[in-house]
Amino acid sequence: MRNPRRARFVLVILLLAAFTLITIDYRSSSLDGVRSGASTVFGPIERAVSDVTRPIGSWFSSIGHLGSYKHENDALRRENSQLENELHMTQAERDEYAQSLRLLHLAGLAQYKVAPARVISYGGGFTQDSTVAIDIGSADGIKKNETVINGDGLVGRTITVGRTTSTVLLANDPTSTVGVRLVGQRQLEVGIVQGRGVNRPLTLSLYSNTTLPQVGQKVVSFGDASTGFRPFVPSVPIGYVTQVDPLNGGSEPTATVKPYVDFTALDIVAVVTQTPARISPGQLVPKSPTPAPTTTVTVTASPSSHPSHSTPASPGTSSSP
Amino acid sequence: MTAQRILFRIALLIVAAILQVVVVNRIPLPGGQPDLLLLVVVGIAFASGAERGALFGFCAGLLADFLPPAGHIAGREAFVYTVIGFGAGLFEDPEETSVLTTILVVAVGSAALVALYDGLGGLLGDARVTREDFLHSLLGTVVYDVVLAPFIVRPVSAFARRLEPVGPR
Repeated sequence: MRNPRRARFVLVILLLAAFTLITIDYRSSSLDGVRSGASTVFGPIERAVSDVTRPIGSWFSSIGHLGSYKHENDALRRENSQLENELHMTQAERDEYAQSLRLLHLAGLAQYKVAPARVISYGGGFTQDSTVAIDIGSADGIKKNETVINGDGLVGRTITVGRTTSTVLLANDPTSTVGVRLVGQRQLEVGIVQGRGVNRPLTLSLYSNTTLPQVGQKVVSFGDASTGFRPFVPSVPIGYVTQVDPLNGGSEPTATVKPYVDFTALDIVAVVTQTPARISPGQLVPKSPTPAPTTTVTVTASPSSHPSHSTPASPGTSSSP
Repeated sequence: MTAQRILFRIALLIVAAILQVVVVNRIPLPGGQPDLLLLVVVGIAFASGAERGALFGFCAGLLADFLPPAGHIAGREAFVYTVIGFGAGLFEDPEETSVLTTILVVAVGSAALVALYDGLGGLLGDARVTREDFLHSLLGTVVYDVVLAPFIVRPVSAFARRLEPVGPR
């Protein structure tokens, strides 16, 4: 080693610098500007890399969802590798089209004004941040603390906004809290839903301890008018109750909520930029407690139902997204 | 150290950090994901020593703290990568670092990365840090990093060594 004493000195200085940074960020929000700046600078690079690597990523994430494609996949194995690759790509395109349709349907039902976006990068790794970056930002009119949805329901809220990209804190992150109401026959119950991390359901806590939530009851965002419906607009479907813990240590009752949104397969989302004055709480929730299966788009889509592809979509020739 | 050498290393760190969030974090692996940035920091430290290992570790952590979609208190990653860069730099070798050393340093470094990061999170009251998730994340990160180590650490340090003349400076 060249100069052990100097190396140790540098180490101590750097660790002190890191500690200072932690203290500043823990006590104030003065580093938000740095985050926005980083989003402005690195967001476009991430978007470009994402555009190039998307087919590979889709292929990998389709492996993660193989359970539902089992039979389809057995048949695919007999194809040569070239064909197999093309098929995965067009499957990804079909998924994307179905996602856009459902998103438009939900946004249309609610008469939300939305800005559609696409996920470009994902938090996670050892930091376990349940976050994603999306490809719209302040240049598209996005602000901090706005609601993000997809075709299935609530995705999260924006926490950092750069010029052309933003960061979304997902509703399943343990630091995420959403004010909610329960939709049911009886009066509307109010509470909060908290995340518990990747691949785990959400936890619902009710403010009142006189009534219990019931299994199958649907949960929607509350949307506080006094804060201008930020960060959450009202009546966005979140999930349904799967399990009730009546008296959780004598405090208010809690329940487990299965989210409608699959947080591991986010792609097309939208930021709600305006909300109508009134939506009834149950208006947007799906009819059955379980969300509709996500990938039931038929292979031979008719050309007229495919606005983005003017030619009939055949597996080999369709354009990349 | 010339500007060119510094820029080259910074560019490597940026590439690794961006590939991490755009590609690696998207792959649904059981038990977490490999950490590309750690592998690159260890590679640079093997070629450049403890002092510069700590410096580039700090830069790497700073980058990861602010690169979208980061959503944690900034400075935590800067802190842990500084420690990793310094520690790996103690195994500096002007020639090639052996595979065994590489794997051992990466294994210990990955474990230290997760433990220190979650330890700081525990002090700050981070709701994401739970015992179950900690063990899961620790195991996953160590295993995946060790598997990737020979393919990433060694080329990175070979490249860095070519830019760095041998001998005292």
